[in-house]
Parts: sequence; C-alpha cells; structure tokens
Amino acid sequence: MWSLSDPWVGFWLPLALLCLASGFWLTDRKDPRRRLSGVTLFVAMAIIVFFGANTRGEDTSETALLAVLLYLVGLVALMAIGSLIATFSGPSPVGPLPRGLRPLGFSMAFGGLIWIGLMLISKPSDAIANGIGETIWGAWVNVFLSVLVLIAAFAGSFCVMMGEERQKEASVLAILAIAGGWMFYEIMQKGSEGLEASGWHQIHWEQVMYLIGGLLGSISAVMAFIGLVYMAEKRAPDPDVVSPLTEEEKDVVDAVLRLNLELEANQE
Amino acid sequence: MTGKRDSWWGPVALLMLLIAFSMDLLVWQLSGGTEFSLIIERMLLGFSLAFGITSLALLLVTIAAIHQHARWKEQVIGLLLLAGLGLSVAHWQMGGSIEDMRNQGVMLFSGMAGMMAAVGLVFGLLLALITGREHSVDPLLELESTGGDVTVDLED
Repeated sequence: MWSLSDPWVGFWLPLALLCLASGFWLTDRKDPRRRLSGVTLFVAMAIIVFFGANTRGEDTSETALLAVLLYLVGLVALMAIGSLIATFSGPSPVGPLPRGLRPLGFSMAFGGLIWIGLMLISKPSDAIANGIGETIWGAWVNVFLSVLVLIAAFAGSFCVMMGEERQKEASVLAILAIAGGWMFYEIMQKGSEGLEASGWHQIHWEQVMYLIGGLLGSISAVMAFIGLVYMAEKRAPDPDVVSPLTEEEKDVVDAVLRLNLELEANQE
Repeated sequence: MTGKRDSWWGPVALLMLLIAFSMDLLVWQLSGGTEFSLIIERMLLGFSLAFGITSLALLLVTIAAIHQHARWKEQVIGLLLLAGLGLSVAHWQMGGSIEDMRNQGVMLFSGMAGMMAAVGLVFGLLLALITGREHSVDPLLELESTGGDVTVDLED
C-alpha cells in the first residue's frame, strides 16, 4: 500500500510531477494541457508538504533534505529580498521603492552571509546536528561558499576588465569573495560548532567532488538532449513545395490589400 | 567592444581555475591529503547519477510538452536510452543499492540548492550595483524639437 510517508510517493513523485508541470507550461497557450500546469504544480507541492509533515523526525535522506532546506529558507529569503530591495530602490526607471531603503537592501543581502557565519559558530539545531542531515548541511555550506568565492571573483574581474570605472562594484564583489573565502578557511582549519575540521575535510573530498561530477553530468545530459533535437531536426524531410496561388486566391489577397490601403489612406 | 577586451574570458577563466585549485590545495594541506582514486570515483559517480536524473527529467518535460509538429520519437527514445544508461551505470557503481542511489540523489539536490543560492546572491548584488549607477543627464534630451523647421546658415 502506498502512503505519503513513502519517499518514492512523498518526495520523488512530486519531483516527477514538477517536470510534467514544466512540460505542460511549455505547450501552446491554446493547448488544454497548459491549464494543467498550475494544478500539477499545486498537487506536487501539497504532496511534498504532507510528506515533510508526516515524516518529521525520521532519518531518511529525503526528510533530512527537507528539514535542512526549511532551516535555510530564512537566510536565503533574506538575501533574495535584500538584493531585490537594493535593486528597486536605486535610480532604476522601474524602481518604486524609496531611495533610503537601498542601504537596508545591501545590509539584508550581506546579513544572509553573516547568518550562515552565526550558524557555524552556534550550537546546531537537531536538523543539522548529526547523521545524514549534518552531511547535507555540510555539503550545502561547502558548495555555497566555494561557488560564492568563484562567482564573486568572476563577476568582480569581469567588471574591472569590461567596464569603465567599475571599481566600486568590483570592490563590493571582492568583499563578498574575501568574506566567503575567510569562512571557508575557518571551517577547514578549525571546524564549526558541532562538526570538527576533519568532518569538513571529509565532506569536501567526498561530497563536493561528487557534486562537481554531478554538475558535469547534468551539463552533459543537456548537451546530449540538444544533440538529439539537432539530429531529429536534421532528419526531418524538407517541407512540400507550395503550389502557386490560384486566380481565386489572388483575388482574395488583392481585396484584402486594397481594403487595408484604403483604410490607411482614409485615416491620413 | 575594443580589441583589447576581446580576450577577457581567458584571464578570467584562468583566475577562476587558479582560485578553485587554491581552495583544493588549502584543504589538501589542512587535511593531510586524500586518495586521488577516491576523488575520481566520487566524480564519476556524481557524473553518472546526475546524467541519468537530468535525462529522466528532460524526458518527462518532453513527454508533457509533445505536440503534433514535434519530432518526438528521436527525443523520447533517445532520452529514455540516456536516462537508462546513466541510472544503470550509477546503480552498478553503487553495488545495486537503490537506497544509496536515493541518498546520493538527495545530495545532488542539496548541492544544487547551495550553488543556486550563491549564484543568486552574487548576481543579485551585481544587478543592484550596476543598476544603481548615477549618470549625468544627456544634454541632447533637453533640446526641444523644432517640428522640422531647420535654418542653415551658409558662410561663403
């Protein structure tokens, strides 16, 4: 008997439904399946929420992932909302927010990073204290900091090389890269509250290397998909030669053209 | 774009590669090293499982979005084979344990979430910084139209 506490039903099925919802959403506007995308998305989210609620406290990897993501949702929302406030309170023509909110937006975005730092030096909650939850949380932090350093360095150097007088932007991104690099160094050297440095090293060598392979695998799958589409389109037969217009069709075209030209002339 | 800036990606890619290697070297130094074969094994495992899962996700999206003009047979059969290949290899690498595959699949989602959060933060801040620049007003915008009446002074 299937139940919502079964990870195949409660976690993996909603992920499959999310893929189907994306496919429905990509169909033509007049296609009836397009209306199904919202319903499918809602059903998928409802099943995941029920699964998370039903399996709370269990030590399966899916439950642990949901617990960790729930634990992180606050700081991720803080960074996202901060970035949006900073963007829309600037001199942008579509900026409806007061200018005074701009420093608050930047503070919120950097606050997310500080929040992660505080999580690393304070006693971890049950969701990330041990077992698979700790590994998932460790992998998330490790990947977050590594990608933060790399992408911030990339964006900062891009600003300096491509733009005129972009020192201010590059400096802010450099601060972000240095802060991320410093946090990475600290956890690798001294560990964090509840997880020793050796634990972080193990996560780095086992999980981060696994995730680098995973990133390459995902990119390869997308490239293979593009290759399949290319092959399919290349094998498609040429469209049939269209026969020239009949006299009757020419008369229709002529009438439409005359009608439109007359309308334009009358408007002028 | 000037000729000087055309080769921007070379130094930037080199910088990123250097930083990535430096971070790994730092961990290597602090941890006392690790088995190189373990790194390769983990990367291959991640590659095959992510390849299979991504192909399966693309297969589901394709099936849901099929329409009468689509060349769907090649895509569906091809993706089915790719997904089967990736997941079979991952299954073999994990000694036939479905539970291990589930655990490692979850780990992929965790890493993806961390990567997306970092990319979102950096590009969110970059967008805020770039759009926040003050520009001096273009003097051409303050000119008034003459409605087409133009006087040209010709000097001999």
